[in-house]
Amino acid sequence: MEDVFSQLEALGQSERRVAMATLVGTKGTTPKKEGAKMWVGEGGRVLGSVTIGGCVDARVIEDSASVLRSGAPQLLKMALGDEDAWEMGLSCGGTIEVLLEPLELAGDAPVLGSYRRIATEVDAGREACLVRLLREPGRALLVLADGKSEGSLGNAALDAAARQQALPLIARGTSRTERIAVADAASRAEGAESPEAFFEVHAPRAHLVLVGAGVVAMALSELARTVGFRVTVVDPRPKFASRERFPHANELRVGIPSEILENLTLVPSTAVVLTIHDYKVEVPVLRAVLSSRAGYVGMLGNRNRGRAVLDMLRQEGVPSEQLERVHVPIGLDIGAQTAAEIATSVLAEMIAVRCGKSGASLRASPPGTGAQKEPRSG
Amino acid sequence: MSDLYGAVIAEHFRRPRNRGTLESPDATHEEVNPLCGDRIRIELKLEGDRVVAARFRGDACMVAVASASLLTGMVVGLSREDAFRFPEERLLAALETTLRPARVQCAQLPLQVMRAALSDAPAR
Repeated sequence: MEDVFSQLEALGQSERRVAMATLVGTKGTTPKKEGAKMWVGEGGRVLGSVTIGGCVDARVIEDSASVLRSGAPQLLKMALGDEDAWEMGLSCGGTIEVLLEPLELAGDAPVLGSYRRIATEVDAGREACLVRLLREPGRALLVLADGKSEGSLGNAALDAAARQQALPLIARGTSRTERIAVADAASRAEGAESPEAFFEVHAPRAHLVLVGAGVVAMALSELARTVGFRVTVVDPRPKFASRERFPHANELRVGIPSEILENLTLVPSTAVVLTIHDYKVEVPVLRAVLSSRAGYVGMLGNRNRGRAVLDMLRQEGVPSEQLERVHVPIGLDIGAQTAAEIATSVLAEMIAVRCGKSGASLRASPPGTGAQKEPRSG
Repeated sequence: MSDLYGAVIAEHFRRPRNRGTLESPDATHEEVNPLCGDRIRIELKLEGDRVVAARFRGDACMVAVASASLLTGMVVGLSREDAFRFPEERLLAALETTLRPARVQCAQLPLQVMRAALSDAPAR
């Protein structure tokens, strides 16, 4: 959700107040997932979208004006598509809930402060979850990845329950609406309810760490940047990890690769791809990476070579479940031959793994899987 | 592995000695072989004129790692001068194998790095 922060800053240059629309619930097939945001300024300026851009977005824009007038949040529930669209088979078919709320962009509005705080965590490589009650979105509890929290939903029992529910969502990187289950019997006896809250998970931007600065890395660096990854290139040789070869990489790190990887923050949104094709780097780097939370680890090489490298680590005592995380041979089976084709197959596999998909052809997938969605923001 | 390079290199690659870092080293230097990518850093602690501790870090081939492992053990207790003049032949002999010429460079890298570290370190 990197766009949330950059969009807030951009909006703040020209708007004093906006209506913030957040997709907080989906049922059935919908073009976007929970957490998608749209902003409508007082002058009607629109940023982002909660659906593909037709039906619901139009209603959200319309209702934004009344939210800004009244200053009160609204929860919109809508079915996607109309009868005509259904007849033509064009409808998405799902239902969605959108939380619309007015947001002051100046000063120290609490929700704005929460987003600034989230930006600090995410920039440091840590996830965070913003929990807000649907009926009272002005109250916010920010749950950090280490289990600590800031702010309050109004009482300690709700806060404790929300913290417990937020942590597995943070681990999965999933935003959703849930009823907060107040476990404390005394609080329930006092009439504390189990209100619905939106758990909005923010994770660090997708980060690709390339170990080895050869031609496949050069191609993968460019492709990954296009898709929105932050790219770090690591190589022991200064002549290889150069700006001439990697003009658009975010960071070039020359040094002892395993030492560099030990000091990077590797989280589920991090992909580590070893293109260096040399055991002397692969073994120590994998040793450093496999005990981390990196979401994707892959290395160039055929099956035999991969087995030999993993066997070296196995002999050192690296557990099998860690070794099984390594994608080798790397990439999807598309018959890639050139560096650019190999990079494409690797990037496709990285995205598939991130989304929990197999990478198989959509045409061959069972019906109901993989509706074509608008590109995800952030 | 030991069939290719001998038991000493295999042992020191699998279980390298003195791998790590020192707190506030008195001498340190890092170098890379620009072609093969072997990269080694050596850190030394000096007390007066003596080397009292030595560590290495690096991602390097078996020969270079074994060489660094052996060298960092052999220089402890030497004077700064003797460490600087550590004979290459003694290091190669400690590897207990005959290296083809291209691999001798790998064995020499830790020695070059250590000499550079001692040269760069301020005189006491």
